[in-house]
Amino acid sequence: MKPEDVLKFSLADFTYNDSDGVLNPPEDFDAWIQDPRVAMAMSFFEQPLHNSPKPRTELSGGHLGKRRPVINLTSYNYLGLSTHPEVVQAAAQALMHYGVGASGAAMLSGTFDQHVLLAQELAAFKGQDACMLFSSGYGGNLGAIQGLLQKGDVLVVDSKCHRSVVDGATLSGAKMVSFAHNDAASLDETLTRYAGKRRMVVVEGVYSMDGDVANLPALLDVCDAHDVPLYLDEAHSSLVYGETGRGLGEHFGVEDRIGVHFGTLSKAFGGVGGFVCGEASIMRYLKCYAASFQFSCALPPAIVAAMRKSLEVATRDNTLREQLWANVRHFRSNLIAMGLDIGESTSQVIPIIVGSSGEQLIELAMAAQERGLYLQPIDFPAVEAHSRRFRISVSAQLSAEDIDEASNIIEDVIARPLGLVGAA
Amino acid sequence: MTKEEIIEIIKKHLKDNLDDIDIDTVSAESSMRDYGANSLDMIEVVSATMRELKIRVPRSELADVQTIDALAAKFLEHVE
Repeated sequence: MKPEDVLKFSLADFTYNDSDGVLNPPEDFDAWIQDPRVAMAMSFFEQPLHNSPKPRTELSGGHLGKRRPVINLTSYNYLGLSTHPEVVQAAAQALMHYGVGASGAAMLSGTFDQHVLLAQELAAFKGQDACMLFSSGYGGNLGAIQGLLQKGDVLVVDSKCHRSVVDGATLSGAKMVSFAHNDAASLDETLTRYAGKRRMVVVEGVYSMDGDVANLPALLDVCDAHDVPLYLDEAHSSLVYGETGRGLGEHFGVEDRIGVHFGTLSKAFGGVGGFVCGEASIMRYLKCYAASFQFSCALPPAIVAAMRKSLEVATRDNTLREQLWANVRHFRSNLIAMGLDIGESTSQVIPIIVGSSGEQLIELAMAAQERGLYLQPIDFPAVEAHSRRFRISVSAQLSAEDIDEASNIIEDVIARPLGLVGAA
Repeated sequence: MTKEEIIEIIKKHLKDNLDDIDIDTVSAESSMRDYGANSLDMIEVVSATMRELKIRVPRSELADVQTIDALAAKFLEHVE
């Protein structure tokens, strides 16, 4: 590869390997990833944190390569439950009682009393018959979708759905087709095209790269007209949306029309894992056919105990949610006042859309790092090439001072270089 | 190699990746999307075609390609 060509390429260009042996990366991949400009861009990933995922934390590596304090705008810890004293104490007590790991798959020796209780509590929280737990959110979508579908079926997904949904479809052997993002007419056309097949529709509550929400009422009208179930992934909306935090289904008052309720424990819950809730019969069936459930070690009991406490803390009142939404409003108004493009975001996930230049994205990210702002650049192919961006995850733990300090840095290192300050 | 030969290779991989396509009805002036290909199908068709042609075209150059004919023309620029 010629040096001047290197920035034309992205990780997407190396998804197939044309080298002689499977243990040899493509020859030009090595040349690409070792180029200093690409290495600089890659330095933003896997930077080790030296403290909790609170808004003020410590980071090392990256472009600066040294340990330093930062304002963290990247963690999914939306309600601050990962470091909530009651949650941490619950984990610590359970850790001393149960030890570190489950030491078994859930169907064999990995189910503890804590798993049974959390599953019951989550099912009750979601108003469903039953719940099953997965060891990760990714594995949960992978396993639930693979377990429900089979070859000959059709999975109809929103075009912006997460990779785990796509991989679940691949593993099941079902045909996966997408409809235009949040477009009920496109969903209707797609379901009509595959009439006669066993079909399931998957949408997400909050879309993780854009921060916009599913138009559930309109999409459910289409699903109901075709008598096709809707699977709702509430990874980024559980504990965040709805009067009592049950998610986007509660927010729109349509929970009883949703066929499968999926959520993660790694976002607002502050831990790790996935869960799916629905009718008892389909949960019993799914446990027997979801490979990622059957063949993964169960969640550590201490994490499960902590997640029970997270659920309790997050649902005893609306304090944390109200703080989160106050922070979202504050941060949004700051960003909009600068004239920044935050797309269609209405949630706690706020993109700052920069444009089509990968080089500019990395330059802006470097400037943010130098000012102590931990803000991850999202490059193609994670998002479309014309909408490279930064992504802010707002947390209830951010103070007004944190938000204003972070906003001032964003104004200096992103809005001004883009020529946007005060453009709105 | 001619553009027409590249179009035939693209159509072959399109047939491999779409369950219910009548390849004889595929027009080079159309988009793969017109025949029911989703983004993953298109990535697979593009990757398999590049593999067969022994070329690597940056995805950024393919972003504005709308038709099978235009895709073949782009690939032809890279074939030695």
